[in-house]
Amino acid sequence: MNLNYSDEQQMLRDQVQKFCDADYSFNKREEILKSDLGYDADLWKLFSELGWLSLPFSEENGGFGYGPIELSVLFEEFGKVLIVEPYLSTIVLSGSVLDKSNYAGRADLIESITSGGSHISLAYLEEGSKNNYAFANASLTSSDNGLVLNGTKALVLNGGNASKLIVSAMMNDELVLVMVNTDAEGVSSITYPTIDGQSCAEISFENVQLDESVIISKGSESIDLLDNAINIATLCISAESIGCMIACYKKTVEYTKSREQFGQPISNFQVLQHKMVDMFIESEVCKSLLFKAMLECESNEVTKNKSVSALKAQIGLSGKSVAQDAVQLHGGMGVSDEMSIGHYLKKLIAVDALFGNSNYHLNKYSQL
Amino acid sequence: MEINFTDSDIKFRDEVKAFLKDEYPSHVKHKQDNGIELTKQDMIDFHKSVSVKGWMGYNWPVEYGGTGWTTTQIYIFQTECGLAGCPPLLAFGVSMVGPVIYTFGNEEQKSKYLPDILNFDTWWCQGYSEPGSGSDLASLKTKAIRDGDEYVINGSKTWTTLAQNADWIFCLVRTETTAIKQEGISFILIDMDNPGIEVKPIITIDGEHEVNSVFFTDVRVPAANLIGEEGKGWTYAKFLLAHERFGIAAVGGSKRSLARLKDIVSELDNPILSRKVTQLEINLSSLEITELRLLSALENGAHPGAESSILKIRGTEIQQELTELYVEAAGEYALIYPGPHGHGDNAMPAGPEHAPHSVSKYLNMRKTSIYGGSNEIQKNIISKHVLGV
Repeated sequence: MNLNYSDEQQMLRDQVQKFCDADYSFNKREEILKSDLGYDADLWKLFSELGWLSLPFSEENGGFGYGPIELSVLFEEFGKVLIVEPYLSTIVLSGSVLDKSNYAGRADLIESITSGGSHISLAYLEEGSKNNYAFANASLTSSDNGLVLNGTKALVLNGGNASKLIVSAMMNDELVLVMVNTDAEGVSSITYPTIDGQSCAEISFENVQLDESVIISKGSESIDLLDNAINIATLCISAESIGCMIACYKKTVEYTKSREQFGQPISNFQVLQHKMVDMFIESEVCKSLLFKAMLECESNEVTKNKSVSALKAQIGLSGKSVAQDAVQLHGGMGVSDEMSIGHYLKKLIAVDALFGNSNYHLNKYSQL
Repeated sequence: MEINFTDSDIKFRDEVKAFLKDEYPSHVKHKQDNGIELTKQDMIDFHKSVSVKGWMGYNWPVEYGGTGWTTTQIYIFQTECGLAGCPPLLAFGVSMVGPVIYTFGNEEQKSKYLPDILNFDTWWCQGYSEPGSGSDLASLKTKAIRDGDEYVINGSKTWTTLAQNADWIFCLVRTETTAIKQEGISFILIDMDNPGIEVKPIITIDGEHEVNSVFFTDVRVPAANLIGEEGKGWTYAKFLLAHERFGIAAVGGSKRSLARLKDIVSELDNPILSRKVTQLEINLSSLEITELRLLSALENGAHPGAESSILKIRGTEIQQELTELYVEAAGEYALIYPGPHGHGDNAMPAGPEHAPHSVSKYLNMRKTSIYGGSNEIQKNIISKHVLGV
């Protein structure tokens, strides 16, 4: 048994941390969020040059072949400073689907995203699909000229910035994944802001003409690809949440030590000390569930699904509790938008909403 | 013991219900029911409707133009307003500065300020908290120096709710530096039109502009605006807090919100969420009866003191948890948050229609366990004054 990060993983952490400390202040983040893209294209290029965008891809596809542990290191550090660049949607979700697929064009597409040149979003959810992505109302049908895609996809992360989409649809009662250009005729989208300051899109496909070459996968292969991508993404946002929780208790300790009331720092009050200890404990137990889930992600279906659901359920509960306490202990400053602390709360609420919230995973776990 | 209201209370309740049904302005009701933010004019329209009915002084004695209602009637009125989904009656005038003026003010002050409060012709705001004085309010530093028949005010107040709409502000100011910090505090009324007052918005995490910083630079205020005696402001502030306690449990509003939540959750087939909603319903029921017990004690001439902090603590916890459960019920659609003004001219996204408003409300309600004496401070009060620790 060894539940420690390797030297190589530690080096990656040091590198990411150095960047986050030096180049990603809260004010910088605020500026990035106000920009049209909602992320910093130069920083995205820098991520590419540092090799970060290639981490999870197999060596065959030009990547480092890293697994969830390395990704979790990256995401935990990202979480500490609330990075808004669309790593999750482009690299983790779409990247995982492409990397594990047998799609003919995958090498070029992976190259196009790891170079920082373009974004691909995964359009797998629909209104009312309740996290059951094995079925879609969107349809892909044959026509004289090839294939026709119809339907509407919801909550497509970073959809407004994507040049291509991986879309799930039904074709002859089978789930298929297809690659669609966002500028194709018949594709329209509306972009919405998300609670954590990023964006997602609702994208409609109306008689979009495609040819056979766009099909990435069919049937059970499609479901396996989505399962894998969403599991890895769940681990990533869980690690990101842990980073948020760590930042929450550290910032709260710092604040309560500097804020004086009744002639002393409010950190002198035991009730606040215990609250902050609870915040720390929550982050630690979440880390333990993250380790379990990362180490069991190659196990059998039941073991893997249980450990992922346990993790995601706990992240939802702990994340909310830690961030709410952080806001509470900051008093009025906690609800002020110009302080960073409330933005951790918003991030953690966003994370809970993604890939099934805490209630969803508790219900799911109890049935596994 | 008897848990039911008397016949006359029930008759009174029907009268309140009839008023809310017929005279609660429909445009305000529409916005409230659909989670649309109210404008200043909407707030004025609502308050005016209560004024016109003669009920603005719902918690005042008859001699000052109030209704002279019993505590039970006040409770019924507040609860019915909550159940009808009304915005809360702004406390700053009628529940805060009003009772201070009619209890400690002179005749001139009473006739100058009270009618405008009852007619809602003056919008009041509260100048208490300062950047360095939150929980430790008595450490406040905003200075009022006497100069002839004026005071000159310098300093700043913060978290001032709706100061951007206010005509007047009542302030705790330091008129003297004393060994016991409470003794140098005075209570003064300031016209917001005075030169030297600057209101700066503080945007909260829901994206809303509800609170402000208020800066005072050499603001000259007539000495006639001082309430009661110089140096007695802290006593008046404590008196005011006792008045604020009532209705803070917000049982009516929470019941209304719970009923809607139950409708939403009943469609979801989500056992974990259903269990949380059930627990919340029990918590709300326990709060309701706790408030009624305090009310009963008051009617019997008792003076419940620190126990009423229970209402603030549990009331705000329940209000907050309700909003949490709405967010949980929104599932993945909790992700989308357009800000407090909704989607404006843009199309609404797919997903449950309550989702965007749920997130807004959730973020907004985080303040309730912080304001009005944080829940930690309330627990200190109970610990000291009830448990005798």
